[in-house]
This record gives sequence, C-alpha cells and structure tokens, in this order.
Amino acid sequence: MPDLSPEALASLDEPAFRSCIREFLVANYPPALRNPPKRLHFRDTKPWYLTLSRAGWLAPGWPREWGGMGLSAARQLVMIEEFERHGCARFNDMGITMIGPLLIRFGTDAQKRFFLPKILSGEHIWCQGYSEPNAGSDLASLRTEAVLDGDHWALNGQKTWTTLATDANWIFLLVRTDRNAKQQQGISFLLVPMDLPGITVRPIINLDLHDEFCETFFDNVRVPRENLVGEINRGWSMAKALLGFERLLLGSPKQASYALARLRLLAERMGLADDPSFQDRYTRLRLDLADHKALYEDFAEQVRRGESLGADVSMLKVNQSELYQRITETMLEIAGENAGLLEPMGGNRELHPSGLFIQSRPTSIYGGTNEIQRNIIAKNVLELPG
Amino acid sequence: MDQAAEFRESLQMVRDSAAAVVPHGDLRRIRALRFTDPGFDRATWRQICDLGWPSLALPESEGGSGLGMRGFVVLAEELGAGLVPEPLVPAAMAARVLSGAPLADLLAGTSLVIPAWQERPNSLDPAADTTLRNGRLTGRKLFVPMAGGADFFLVSAREGLALVPREAPGVMLVLDRTQDGGTFGTITFDHAPATPFPGNLDRALEEAALATAAYLLGLSRRAFAITLDYLATRVQFGQPIASFQALRHRAADLKIQWELMRASVQSAAATLDLESDLPVCRAAVSRAKARAADTSLFITRQAIQLHGGIGYTDEADIGLFLRKAMVHANLYGSAPLHRTRYAALALEEHDA
Repeated sequence: MPDLSPEALASLDEPAFRSCIREFLVANYPPALRNPPKRLHFRDTKPWYLTLSRAGWLAPGWPREWGGMGLSAARQLVMIEEFERHGCARFNDMGITMIGPLLIRFGTDAQKRFFLPKILSGEHIWCQGYSEPNAGSDLASLRTEAVLDGDHWALNGQKTWTTLATDANWIFLLVRTDRNAKQQQGISFLLVPMDLPGITVRPIINLDLHDEFCETFFDNVRVPRENLVGEINRGWSMAKALLGFERLLLGSPKQASYALARLRLLAERMGLADDPSFQDRYTRLRLDLADHKALYEDFAEQVRRGESLGADVSMLKVNQSELYQRITETMLEIAGENAGLLEPMGGNRELHPSGLFIQSRPTSIYGGTNEIQRNIIAKNVLELPG
Repeated sequence: MDQAAEFRESLQMVRDSAAAVVPHGDLRRIRALRFTDPGFDRATWRQICDLGWPSLALPESEGGSGLGMRGFVVLAEELGAGLVPEPLVPAAMAARVLSGAPLADLLAGTSLVIPAWQERPNSLDPAADTTLRNGRLTGRKLFVPMAGGADFFLVSAREGLALVPREAPGVMLVLDRTQDGGTFGTITFDHAPATPFPGNLDRALEEAALATAAYLLGLSRRAFAITLDYLATRVQFGQPIASFQALRHRAADLKIQWELMRASVQSAAATLDLESDLPVCRAAVSRAKARAADTSLFITRQAIQLHGGIGYTDEADIGLFLRKAMVHANLYGSAPLHRTRYAALALEEHDA
C-alpha cells in the first residue's frame, strides 16, 4: 500500500498524483454509487465520507494545520476531474466547501477548534440557508432576521432551497441584522444547530420527484451570540469572498459529456446511429462540447496558474447548462414514446431520456440563473452602460 | 348570420362546453389522479360520453356534431389546457372505426375501447406482425395509453382489425408509468379470442395525431398564461419581473410560437375536414404535429425557467404541464418522424 497521506501526495508530480487518486477511487469508491441518477442522502454517502475522512482526503482545499490536504487550486482541480471521471456522487459537502473555508478565513480560534474537527469526523453535517421565497435572484433583499437579545440572537424567518436539510444537524444562514442599512450592508453570517426549538424543516418534492430540496422555518429561535461569524453586518462581503475557483465548476463540461454519451447509446438503441439527420445534430452537439471544453480549459489554466477568476467565468455556466439541456432535449426528441416513461427504458439507467431531461432543467436556474449570469456578463465583463 | 359566422359560433359553444370537465385553473382533480390505477376517473369518462365528445368529429349521419375535426381540435385544446387525463383521443379513434353495438356501447360510456395498434417505438404504421387466425389473436402491442382502464382493445392485425375484451384469456397487460402520472400498456396476445372488425385505422390515426397536437396547443396555452401571471406578480429588485426587458422579449417570443402552433393545428383541421386526398391530409397533420411537439416543449421548458426555482418543484402546477408535454409530444409520431413523413410525401405544391 503506497503512502497516500496528504504529505506524501504533495511530493508527487502531477501524473503520479493523478494516478494515485485514480487507484484510490478504484480501490475504495462504492461501485453501487457510481453516477447515481439522483442526489444521494447522507445515509447513502456516509461510508464514502468516512473513507475520505480516514484517508485525510476530505478537505483538499483546507490548510493541513486544520486537517485539510493543503492542495493548490491546480491540484484540487485534478482531484475533482478524477472524481468526476469515476462518477463519484456528490455528498453533503457544505461543511467542507463553505463552512470550513469561511471559518478558516473569518472565524475565531474557538470557532475553528470547535467546528472544523467535527466537520472532518462527519459529526456535523451542514446545509446552506441563503435563498428565501422572496429573495432568489435578488438575494440581498432577504428578510430572515436576527435581533440581539442579551446573550442570544432571536431568529425569525424562512429559508428555501436548503438542500438536504433533512440530513443536516447544522445550518449556516445569511440573516438581516440591520434593517436600516442599505440592503447588502445589514446582513450577517450565523451558524445555527438544527435541533434548537422553533426550527421546522419541510422537504420539497422536486420535478424529478426527489426530496433533496427543503424549506426551513425559524420561529423565535434563540441562537447563542457567539455563533455569528466575523463582523456583524459583514456577512454579504464574506459570502462573496468565498466565491473562489469553485465557480469554474459550475461550467464544468461533466454534465454535458455524460449526457452526450447517453445520447449516443440511445440513438443506437433507437436505430438512428447512421441516420444522416441525426448524425448532423449529434455532430453539432459533439462540436459544441469540444469547443466548450476548450473554453473551460482556458479558465482552468487560469486557476492552475494561481490567478483568480473574473466575472467572465459566468460565460461557462451559461454555455454548459444550455448545451446540457440541448443534448437532453435531443434525447427526448429521438426517444419516441419512451420519452414519456417515468422509469428508464427496460430498467436500463443508461437509457433514461426523461430523467436526464428533467435533471438538466434546473442547471440554468441554480447557482444564479442564466438571466442573472447574462446580466453579470453585460455589466461586469462588457461594462455596458446602464 | 352567415354560414361562416354560424360555424364559428358553434366552435365557441364546443369550447364553452369543455368547462363542464375542465374547471378553470383548478388542477386538484388532475393531481389526485396522477400515479393511480387506471390514472383517470371513470365517472368523468361517462360525463365526457354524455357530452357526446367521442363522436364529435364524426359526420352527422354517424351521430357526430357535423363540426368535424375543426370542432374536435377546439375540444382537445381545451382538454389539454386542463391536463384532462381521460383517454378521449384514443377512444375517438376507436369511434371512427367502430359501428353497431360496440360503437353504441362506447358512446354510451359503458364500454371503453382503446386502440392497440403500435408494435414499434416512434411509428405511425399500424401494419402489424400480429396475426388473427380462426378468431384467435397473437402478437404484442406497445405504448397503449391508459390501457389499464380499457374494457376492450381494438387491435390491428395482418388480417385486419379485431376487438378483444381486456379480460379475455390470453391477454396479458403490463403497465409502465409515464411522467404525467398515466400509463402505457404493453399487451401480449397469446391466442386470445377476438372478434374481427372491418375497416382500417388510416384516417383515425391522422385524427389522433392532430388531436394530440391540439391537446399540446391547449396545455401550452395554459402553461404560458400561468407563466405570464407569475411574471406579473413575482417581485425581485423592487419590481415585477415582467418589467425586465429580457423576460418581456422571451414572453413575446413564446406568444409568436404559440400562435404559429395554433394556426398550424387549426389549418390542418380544416384540411382534414375539406380534403379527401389522404397524402394532402397527412402532410397537414405532419406539419401541425411536428410543430406542436417542438413548440409545446419549448413553451413548457421556458415556463419552468421563467418560474425559477419554484418551477422545479412538484408542488408548483407549472411542472405538470412540462411532464404532460413530455408524454404527449412523441405520441402518434415525434417531430422528426413527422418532418420525415412530410418530406417523403413529396407534394407538388411548393410553398415558395
């Protein structure tokens, strides 16, 4: 067994590092969880979470002093690429990707010592409370409010799209702490245990008939004063500062690549592989994907050079999501009556046009709708007046 | 009143009569029936029969309304707007072919006959490998809509059509659930006793394809209306999102596409009523169905997008329209199938 500790990995060159990751996945990743058709719950991903935890591989981006791997953005990208290639499921990663980096950057020593080890051990599973029913694209208009009352915050309001909140025992929130300040300036970052009295979680069944979304209600919840992160009323800028190279991943070609391979299988099954009009459409999508990968590589190269990403990375998200959707629309179109089936054709998960079609719908909505992304491109990239 | 005005008024009466089964904006019944067996309500089906809808497109001499397909597409549009799951389109297909007591029982609502004609996916060809010999039917039929609620199947075989009771020995029915909460049946006939029936499904299939296009027209209309309401009431950045130009332009594009679909469906209905030449009728149906498949999915996809996150929840009604479009867009021929068929009909008329 080679030494797979973060220290040993750091000494490897990139190809060796990559093959190390690959071998680890083959040896350790549960085969049944490859390319799951739906987002998995923690009850399913927990063994894998703990495997990564034991290997010290759970937090690639955290510094080693806090139990992370201390990898550069470039090496983290390699890891993500290999995880994607292997079809690894996304687990409940909000503690790793959001809370860890937030606390490491803005938390007190006491907060770091309390929270970080519990994230790595799997004791604390986090979910995110940003959006509200009336604060979606316009997130800064959020109204969930925390009012200081002695040693506690009195918390009232409602969050939505609190993904996998039923799995979580902690939630991090953007809350209003100053009603009179300009919108973005009266918002703070609050950490809340889910078992406090006054918290209700309701799963929301999504269009894919899955319960990954939730809404979470706060009714006079009393949160200890020390659970605020960083300075009061600075939550918005902290949340923005957390947007690092991960924005690249919203434009990763992985979903479109996966869908295109499925389109090919479906076309063969439907007897269309040699159909000239299908060939033209398929080739068009293939070229779209190849060119998207080229554009993605330009941005990935920026990350590898250690540069930070600009607003122009929004282009990747718009293009990837819409390409993914075009591919799944083509699947639906060529599937004939099978397009209407609730379950995969003949139980074959590889051939499930309607499932993939539905799953591709929200990619142009979550993580900032494509309309918002286009606004960002117009305003911050093209610097159009108005 | 001149004849054309009278005809228009009759069509309007058909449209208004649909309200009996399609309560405006209330989809509770539709939700409750999803993923149940057989996926529709028998009492509502009898009500549909009482209203004379399965025979609406038939000539007056055969008990129809005399409004033809122009009347039937208006009705199908309204049923689509209400996402009505009762199998009017397949039953009307059977009514086109049946006669005598089986027709009377179908129209009375006492016995529901569903055609089982398809043996390959994405096909409009009722030509069959199924055989009918010595009154025994053997073969396999696919994608039979709402088959679980049928009393009889009208089956195409090499030797012609045949009626088979669902409960007959040698009939095996497997149901697959569909995205809209209904079912497709796969039916295997193994020497099942069957009654031969004269006629063929050629004309009935064209009418079913066009009625499906009209159903898609209606569900798109309602999905668009719900979306416009949402744009007008959803406030972000201090104003209704309908005030943002990007969304206004999207809405305008959806309107143009919906009107093209409407014009295509209605003109095809007139063609079916006024033309006896089958290739001409088929070309008109293919034009309408290809557009309806594409546009209904375009409109319902955009409806989800314009709703944002809430559009991706099952509790928001708008998703019901997308799922219904996913099932019906490819019934009686997908858009590629109809485009291919249109091209192959090689009509002399070039609309230059």
